[in-house]
Amino acid sequence: MSRRAVQPQGEKVQRRLDWTFPPPPVPREVRHARPAAPVPGRPPVLCVHGAGMGAWAFDRWLPALAAAGWHAVAVSLRGHGESPLPDRAAITSLRHYEHDVLQTITELPAPPVLVGHSLGAVVVQRVLERYRSAPAGVLLSAPPPDHGLALVAALARHDPATLARGVVGLRTRPRARTLVGPGTPQDEAERLVLRLTAEPVPAALQVILPRRRPLIRTPVLVIGGGEDRIVPAATVARTARLLGTRAHLFRGMGHNLHLERGWEDVLEVVLTWLGRTVEVATPGPQAP
Amino acid sequence: MANNPTRDGEGVEDRHDRILVIGAGSSGLTAAKNLRERGFHVDVVEREPHVGGNWNIDGSASRVYDSTRMISSKPFTQYPDFPMPDTAPDYLHHTDVRAYLERYAAHFGLDRVVERSTPVEEVEPLARGFDVALTGADGTRHWRRYRRLVVANGHNWAPKWPTYPGQDTFTGELLHSAGYRSGDQLAGKRVVVVGAGNTGCDIAVEAAHRAEVTVHSTRRAYWYAPKYVLGKPADQVSDLIFALRLPTRLTQALFQATARLVVGRYERYGLPTPDHRFLETHPIVNQQLLYHVGHGAITPKPDVAGFDGDEVVFTDGSRVQADLVLFATGYLIRFPFLPDGLIPGGDRPRLLRNVLHPDRTDLAVIGLIQPDSGQFALVHWQSVLLASFLELESRAPTAAHRYLREAAHQLDDRSQAGIDLVDSTRHLVEVEHAAYARDLEKDLAVLARRLAAVAA
Repeated sequence: MSRRAVQPQGEKVQRRLDWTFPPPPVPREVRHARPAAPVPGRPPVLCVHGAGMGAWAFDRWLPALAAAGWHAVAVSLRGHGESPLPDRAAITSLRHYEHDVLQTITELPAPPVLVGHSLGAVVVQRVLERYRSAPAGVLLSAPPPDHGLALVAALARHDPATLARGVVGLRTRPRARTLVGPGTPQDEAERLVLRLTAEPVPAALQVILPRRRPLIRTPVLVIGGGEDRIVPAATVARTARLLGTRAHLFRGMGHNLHLERGWEDVLEVVLTWLGRTVEVATPGPQAP
Repeated sequence: MANNPTRDGEGVEDRHDRILVIGAGSSGLTAAKNLRERGFHVDVVEREPHVGGNWNIDGSASRVYDSTRMISSKPFTQYPDFPMPDTAPDYLHHTDVRAYLERYAAHFGLDRVVERSTPVEEVEPLARGFDVALTGADGTRHWRRYRRLVVANGHNWAPKWPTYPGQDTFTGELLHSAGYRSGDQLAGKRVVVVGAGNTGCDIAVEAAHRAEVTVHSTRRAYWYAPKYVLGKPADQVSDLIFALRLPTRLTQALFQATARLVVGRYERYGLPTPDHRFLETHPIVNQQLLYHVGHGAITPKPDVAGFDGDEVVFTDGSRVQADLVLFATGYLIRFPFLPDGLIPGGDRPRLLRNVLHPDRTDLAVIGLIQPDSGQFALVHWQSVLLASFLELESRAPTAAHRYLREAAHQLDDRSQAGIDLVDSTRHLVEVEHAAYARDLEKDLAVLARRLAAVAA
């Protein structure tokens, strides 16, 4: 019955692809929101957006996190927001996004809490395996660590046109209800749809297809929306189970927990959990 | 503690379960970081007033010189969880490596942990643990007791001097590369550089620009690998060949064919043909040496036979007058604060994966490898191996001892990928990076399974 036992064992030492074809450098858009009165010893919080979005996806959370006393940071992955793709980008895949997040981490004064949404939550899972000093991880609407086939099934049922455009790398125009829960007004949802950009096919496919499961030891909080039509609640629950924890589900909410109506409640849960977790998870307090 | 330990009436400060890491260079820093990450309490003592070890040119034991740059490119060199910046070039200058190490230390909170200007004077092993004599920043000597010790004092600082007939009567100046800092030391002189390690070749190239005459003496003919192949850092290309995992002979043939294609025949430059296959000596990566040999700015010579007045005599009977002979002849492995024999194997330390002591669970060495590639990344994984081992040891001491017993056969497996290295003191701790990474990955998987079994 040990949930940890289903986790893979051992470290990934050999990274041949990263050694021989290191991700080409790109400038990165990084947004900061700093608290008026910083709390000593508190780590920064680094947020990673989902497919077709950018650092802007955390425009609501960043100031709210800062107001609660956290140094909040959001990065745009290459090809998203204000971060360009390199000139000769043959393939853009999750390892390139992983690189962008790690580069951002090295510019922070201390190991950050990592927050990831959707595709960004898959990137964060990869980073948590490679960068073990993160005191905690928060996964919003997160596909499971082994594969995201359930996402295909969900989209095929609710929004097949978006699925069809997505798999060939076109800019998607999802239905409003695909993106957000019923509590968010239609015009707000449509404004969100208009901001989406195309997601490179290799990265999107990596989220869906079976892949090596990362070994994660960091404490994680997994949150999902009961009305999510991209990563359904049952799938988020599976993510949580595979990571050895339980999902926290918000009944009336959809896929974009950090953007749609009710985001303050989600953030409240995150802040409460961080307050409990980060202090005890900081490395060093007790020898084993 | 009711009874504080004493030594000859002197108080000994008992540090209980804290681990002592000796040295805050690239190895000590990552050892401390990875041990802390697993929840261990760590003390780090550093002789110099700063971190960065060899890469901090201000340090008394630093052996970098003003033209030192990385030999392996970023992806092989950087710590896997703290990449070198995108804004940095493929090969960093030593000042940027130093800044990188300082950022690493600050980011992971090691700044607050490292006790600077605190040299270790003496280590006395106990049945379990060690008494360690330190001189503090205030200049006073005191003893501390630790249960575990991690040695990360580096192995590129104690100069290895060769001896030749007539050396004492040579009228010019003799210098080891340990004392070489800048091309100013070569300006306008007739210089003989002895040794074709990466340092020797760097200095020969510098001399080609600065000295009046430059002679480069090497004991055998070497393979000189270029720093770039096909517009990419050469190690990123050569690792594609390693990735094929071909038989060693075929890999060597592919490398030699690549060298032929990119560099051509060494004979054309006036250099002898290598007497050994590629990879059988530690790789020399230098694109400029052959250029200067081809332009007559560097005169290649065989090994030194002896000295005669102001002349250097070579084994082919030729002689040159010299103002300065610079020995780039490498460094000795030394643990001056440890009693002899504590690290088994003498000159060729016999440690599991060059890290764990085969009999003691309370002593380990970090950074004691010379890979044919980047150092920091592999040393990071050494540290993860050590942290995993110590976690096993603190949960189930018998399981840790069993691990040591069962891994003892590795003592003769030195991760050299079946390559028959030329017998030389230069290769005492040589590892082939791809094989070493593979071996560490296997060891870590074994330790993870043992840890899971203990936890269950």
